[in-house]
Amino acid sequence: MSEYYLFHDSSKCIGCLSCEVHCKENKRLPVGPRLCRVMTVGPKMVGGLPKVDFIFMPCFHCERPWCVAACPTGAMQKRAEDGIVFVNEELCVGCKACMRACPWGVPQWNPETGKAVKCDYCKDRVDKGLEPACVAKCVTKCLHFGRPEQMVDSRRERHAKAMAAVGWEVTLRQPTAPASKPRKPPVRKQAE
Amino acid sequence: MAQESTCPVREIRQEVASALAQESIKEPRARMRAEKLLVLLEDIAQGRAGSEHLADLKAVARSLTERQDAHGADLGQRILSLLESQGEIFQSHILTRNCASGACDMLAPAPCQMACPSGIDVPSYVALIGQGRYQEAVNLIRQDNPFPWVCGLVCTHPCEFVCVRGQVDSPVAIKELKAFAAEKALSEGRYLNPPKEPATGHMVCVVGAGPAGLTAAYFLALKGHKVTVIEALPMAGGMMMVGIPRFRLPREVIDREVAFIEELGVEFRFNTRLGVEVTLQSLRKEGFEAFFIAVGAHASHRLAVPGEDLPQVLDAVRFLRDVAMGARKRPGERVLVVGGGNVAIDAARTLVRLGCREVTLLYRRSRSEMPANVEEVRQAEEEGVRLVFLTIPVEVMGEKGRVVGLRCLRARLSEPDARGRRRPVPIEGSDHIMAADAVVTAIGQRVLTEGLEHLDLRWSSWDTIVADTITAGAGREGIFAGGDVVLGPATVVEAIGAGKRAAEGIDRFLKGLPQPTMPAVPVRRARLEPWEMAASLKMDLKRCEMPLLGPERRRITFQQVELGLGEEQARREAHRCLRCDICKRCGRCVVVCRDRMEIDALKLGYVGQPGESPTDFRMTSERCILCGACAANCPTGAMQMEDRGEERLLILGGTILQRERLERCQGCGDYLGPSRYLDFVRKRTSGLAQAFAGRLLCEKCARRATAESKSGMSVPQG
Ligand code: SF4
Ligand code: SF4
Ligand code: SF4
Ligand code: SF4
Repeated sequence: MSEYYLFHDSSKCIGCLSCEVHCKENKRLPVGPRLCRVMTVGPKMVGGLPKVDFIFMPCFHCERPWCVAACPTGAMQKRAEDGIVFVNEELCVGCKACMRACPWGVPQWNPETGKAVKCDYCKDRVDKGLEPACVAKCVTKCLHFGRPEQMVDSRRERHAKAMAAVGWEVTLRQPTAPASKPRKPPVRKQAE
Repeated sequence: MAQESTCPVREIRQEVASALAQESIKEPRARMRAEKLLVLLEDIAQGRAGSEHLADLKAVARSLTERQDAHGADLGQRILSLLESQGEIFQSHILTRNCASGACDMLAPAPCQMACPSGIDVPSYVALIGQGRYQEAVNLIRQDNPFPWVCGLVCTHPCEFVCVRGQVDSPVAIKELKAFAAEKALSEGRYLNPPKEPATGHMVCVVGAGPAGLTAAYFLALKGHKVTVIEALPMAGGMMMVGIPRFRLPREVIDREVAFIEELGVEFRFNTRLGVEVTLQSLRKEGFEAFFIAVGAHASHRLAVPGEDLPQVLDAVRFLRDVAMGARKRPGERVLVVGGGNVAIDAARTLVRLGCREVTLLYRRSRSEMPANVEEVRQAEEEGVRLVFLTIPVEVMGEKGRVVGLRCLRARLSEPDARGRRRPVPIEGSDHIMAADAVVTAIGQRVLTEGLEHLDLRWSSWDTIVADTITAGAGREGIFAGGDVVLGPATVVEAIGAGKRAAEGIDRFLKGLPQPTMPAVPVRRARLEPWEMAASLKMDLKRCEMPLLGPERRRITFQQVELGLGEEQARREAHRCLRCDICKRCGRCVVVCRDRMEIDALKLGYVGQPGESPTDFRMTSERCILCGACAANCPTGAMQMEDRGEERLLILGGTILQRERLERCQGCGDYLGPSRYLDFVRKRTSGLAQAFAGRLLCEKCARRATAESKSGMSVPQG
């Protein structure tokens, strides 16, 4: 876990994807990579009404990151001072080991540079005292960024729960049958 | 590693790119223009630019100078002045799609093409032959050289000396493939002239129907000019016809290819010498506006030893010409040939065929210094020519006005001089006499200057005309010169190259266009898909053996020695090519795999320093995990990783280096990667917790599973 938290109040989120758009804009990314994702979960009937959940998924900046361990060139690093996990593009050779290693599918492929790219909490902005691009432009203000000590109690609790769900429950989940039969894979011309 | 010299296109492109990346151009409209400049420059650097690009570039750069942005304006200004000073290089990138410096990755030229004096796009025509597209191969060759068949038989193939495949085993048989394609296309009636441009009304006179003159005539006729060739001999072909013996180059081959030039409307006047039957003045009066002087080097150097004037001392050029014109008398039973070049070998082999009992070739240096083609020396020996090295003739011995022998000295080689040449040094007291009835001298040729004096041109001290190396202009209005008369005795393909350059210079002269100041860069004619094959086959393909007429038969007839490749043989040979027009041999793939991934799967000695390590395409499959890092870092797209059906493949210029079955996502069944790759990642992360209880999930499924568990609901598939 990094020194920061990025909290998403999913009850306020309307799934407008402003965060994704601004993330890409800020990093000048081509078609393809999506560093943060808003996943739509549902719809599910709750009290006779259909309900969807929007789950915001940035990088978790793991305590012991899989991606850093997997990277053979030392391009994927964890900042000592604040725990932000980021790619040094100069060192990346594009072997995609980080993409394969991350259990949450976070690192992405930038076809333009032939290198991996991932959420780094917009460390350049953070270093200037700004918020990450996604947070800055969130329309409903459901994204919050900061140091945990600045968090109000209720939020801290929700955040802890969310992190627990990811870091704990998911890791220990028992193998289950595939959600569906393996589909016939689409024909791909090129390993992108 | 290929030399990384500088190229203004690449440099300015990188500068614009970094200005944009570092956001040093602030004003939004200036930024937009800089972005447009980058697109234009990238097009030029990748061979996608058209005729409008240069003008666009100039216009955008100019408008950038007018923006209120200091950095942008400065950049625009520098592009403008670069176009002013080095515009030709930009133009050449667009027209030739070849970056002579090799700095523009996608336009790095193949060494074979750069070595060819006529600039043929070798890898492309070799690839076409590999695909069985022979007619297209011939058309492609003839865009640069109107004599594919002649060159296919007698070219000295400088291309093969630099062929990169030679660093793996032996060079691609580039010359033989050319002959095969030409013969095949001709025999199928599909050897055709390209369309001519509309007539311009300009008249050009070419002096000399040798390879230089005929080539110029060909290209000038294609440009729509009216060309007349005057020739002293009664037939076309020049030295190809009278200097090269028929057993190497049958007359029909020359006649067929000359006929195509005639078909373009080129007129021939035989038995016509400049300065005798016609003069510059008389030709100008006929309406000729431009002249191309392309006479051959038909005179021989003399031995300068006593006894040389005896009637049985012949000069090889005259001797070969007489035989070519029908004389079949042998000069003696025992004949000594003096010299070590191709002319000496040709003379010796001709003497054998005329029935001389003993033919001995004397050379001053040793075998490794012989300038003659190794193949031909070997064939001469098979035919019974005896070679004697380190021997210097000092006197022709005569009795009663007849040659009876040659007094010679033995020699040893000196230490190499500054230029690396080892001189023969006579050994005191090693006099000996070699018995002979005739001596043929082949120690070099020169141009006969008679008849050319009235042109009033500048001559060098070697009796050659001083002409511009780029335009062939000889210093007087409308007069151009090339081939032997400028270069001294040259090879057929050098003469062809000279003819091609001259045609360009003459065409520009006639049209009043400015002349280039930079030597022409050969044109890349295509970028063809490489032929796909397994690494083991690519390695196993050995250079083809040209089938030859048996030495017994060779000794008694002038029949062609080389019998030509078969179709299967030719196509296999073509598949040996490493496609250096695509892979620039920068070695980045090797470095990434070895030093960065620390896998060291690529054994590609030919992309490194010569002789550094051997090449073995087959060894990649032992270690390669198909991570794709090499392909991601290849600047030219020569290295490709591709998923195909159930497999992932790594392919270098068509050579399949590695292929492995893909594992699937346990969630959706999508392909993930080969197990070697997954193991590599697993091993590196083995100290960490297992996610999803070790289930193998693709990125999409992993994200979905995470989101579901955060929300406690399930995400619909799709
Ligand atoms: S990319 Fe994945 S493994 Fe790496 S820190 Fe982020 S969540 Fe953890
Ligand atoms: S391998 Fe092919 S492209 Fe490379 S130098 Fe030889 S013929 Fe030319
Ligand atoms: S794909 Fe194979 S050859 Fe290329 S870098 Fe990876 S391991 Fe090396
Ligand atoms: S295949 Fe290797 S040597 Fe060839 S261009 Fe690509 S990176 Fe360079």
